[in-house]
Amino acid sequence: MSTPTVETGGQVSRLDFPEPNLHFAENSLRALWTHSLIQCNRLLKRWARDPSTMIQALLYPALTLLMFRIVLGNSISAATGSPSVYGTVPMIALVGAMFGSIVSAVGLKGEKKSGLLSRFATTPTHRASGLLGRMMAEAIRVFATTIVIVAVGMAIGFRFNQGIPSAIALLLLPIAFGIGFAVMVTFLATIAGESPLVEVVSIGCTLLMFFNSGFVPVAAYPPWLQPIVAAQPMSCAVDAMRGLSLGGPVLVPVLQTLAWALGMVAVFLYPAIRGYRRAAETG
Amino acid sequence: MTATSPRVRVESNSVGGHSASNTRSATRAVHRKRSPSGFVQWQVLTARSVWTMVRHGELVVAVIAPLIFTVGFYLPLKFVMQLQGIDYAQFLMPIIVLQAMAFTAISASQRASAESLSGFNTRLQTMPVVGAVPLVSRISAGVVRSVVSLTAALGFGYVIGFRFSAGIGQAVLFCAFALAISTMLSVGADAIGTLSKSPESTSQMLTLPQLILGMASCGFVPESGFPEWIRPWVRNQPISQFSFSMRDMAEGGVSFHVLWPSLAWIVGLLVLFVPLALWANSRRS
Repeated sequence: MSTPTVETGGQVSRLDFPEPNLHFAENSLRALWTHSLIQCNRLLKRWARDPSTMIQALLYPALTLLMFRIVLGNSISAATGSPSVYGTVPMIALVGAMFGSIVSAVGLKGEKKSGLLSRFATTPTHRASGLLGRMMAEAIRVFATTIVIVAVGMAIGFRFNQGIPSAIALLLLPIAFGIGFAVMVTFLATIAGESPLVEVVSIGCTLLMFFNSGFVPVAAYPPWLQPIVAAQPMSCAVDAMRGLSLGGPVLVPVLQTLAWALGMVAVFLYPAIRGYRRAAETG
Repeated sequence: MTATSPRVRVESNSVGGHSASNTRSATRAVHRKRSPSGFVQWQVLTARSVWTMVRHGELVVAVIAPLIFTVGFYLPLKFVMQLQGIDYAQFLMPIIVLQAMAFTAISASQRASAESLSGFNTRLQTMPVVGAVPLVSRISAGVVRSVVSLTAALGFGYVIGFRFSAGIGQAVLFCAFALAISTMLSVGADAIGTLSKSPESTSQMLTLPQLILGMASCGFVPESGFPEWIRPWVRNQPISQFSFSMRDMAEGGVSFHVLWPSLAWIVGLLVLFVPLALWANSRRS
């Protein structure tokens, strides 16, 4: 690896650009993997260095979790007979995944506007690496959020009662959920233009946060609302994660969650690819 | 139109007042002698801010935010609170209104921040604009937004079963009290916005106290629902005190004994915020 050193005016550039010696075709699988990794790395670094992303993806969810425990924990635990943290920890982990996706989608809109996506499109990289790299970065971010939320949850009484395999499944489940959501938000961000489509999604997410089985049990909602609350994706994921920690049915809610995630990917993946390509070509 | 017509009238008046035989010198005299009318400037700048709010859809947000909070807390927690013997619609109303007022303040800070960053404030400072007018007009526009938000919140409250049962006088006091709180918060938020470098980070920074003070108050849950160690703080923080007063204004009538801590908080924070806002708006950067 001979790093090209450019000597201009006595200054030696020590930038560690990859040597242009990888001679695989632009549309080969190896190119897809390598280039996606580069994109993923870029996004993760960018998020880690941006305070507003870190606040939105880590600090606010953690604080909200503590707030829910302090403010509503006793009332809800007393009314339902089971500790409220087993509902709120999964709920906040999912909410963190969703709001993190929204922040990153706003960032994507910015990259489109500033022309960065178009510049990537002019480079000899795999066409799908932008989108795939973004989804990989989303997955890692969701995982990090989940770890932080579960850690805070442990401090206020959350426990893994079902053994290590369940614990691992619990930590991985939000990733599936988050990817489904991220594909949808990416699609919306790339077709939105100037309209505040992505911001509107955050209102919908706030509503989902109030109407799922992690906030209070489904039975506490008005009867006409119960079927909707029980069927929405967050409730399925919360039920699955509650089953994996406190105990209870696991298989059905896990399958429901996966069905929601795969369904969202199936519906929004092609539009997201089209939207991403258009954003890169016209931005 | 509102922006131009009063100015035209002022001009023609002063032309009449200092009429000279030579029109050219009269025109010049007008430029020298025009004295700023703070009232007209306030009207123009307020109309401008309100129009911006209409165009950016902020008034729609002012209606939707209390709706989401009303259904979001009422429907899930109604049952849980019933077990403790609480009529949750009546209990929840003050905090819904207070949250709506806090949102007004946050948007006020964003507007102040945007105007300060775009150089609008600096431009006004170079013009014969009465010192406090930009600040006062932003606050007035905030009051317009607060009225919209308050009306919406009370409307949603009526739908879920909230009632003013203490008479019309107390109901009026309830609304006036809410608007006073929103104005007080807006003045503080305006100062922070004017001094800040970024509208986004400002609103993020202000969301934190709103989240903590709003949630950890006796607005959503009675004091007995909190863990023992945090109760003294929860009971005495301003949002709880505001919610106690407003709950009494809606039902049974408020006594001075309940009201005075809220009044003390409002007056105390105003004494802090008003000079801060005036200083932030008059300093040159």
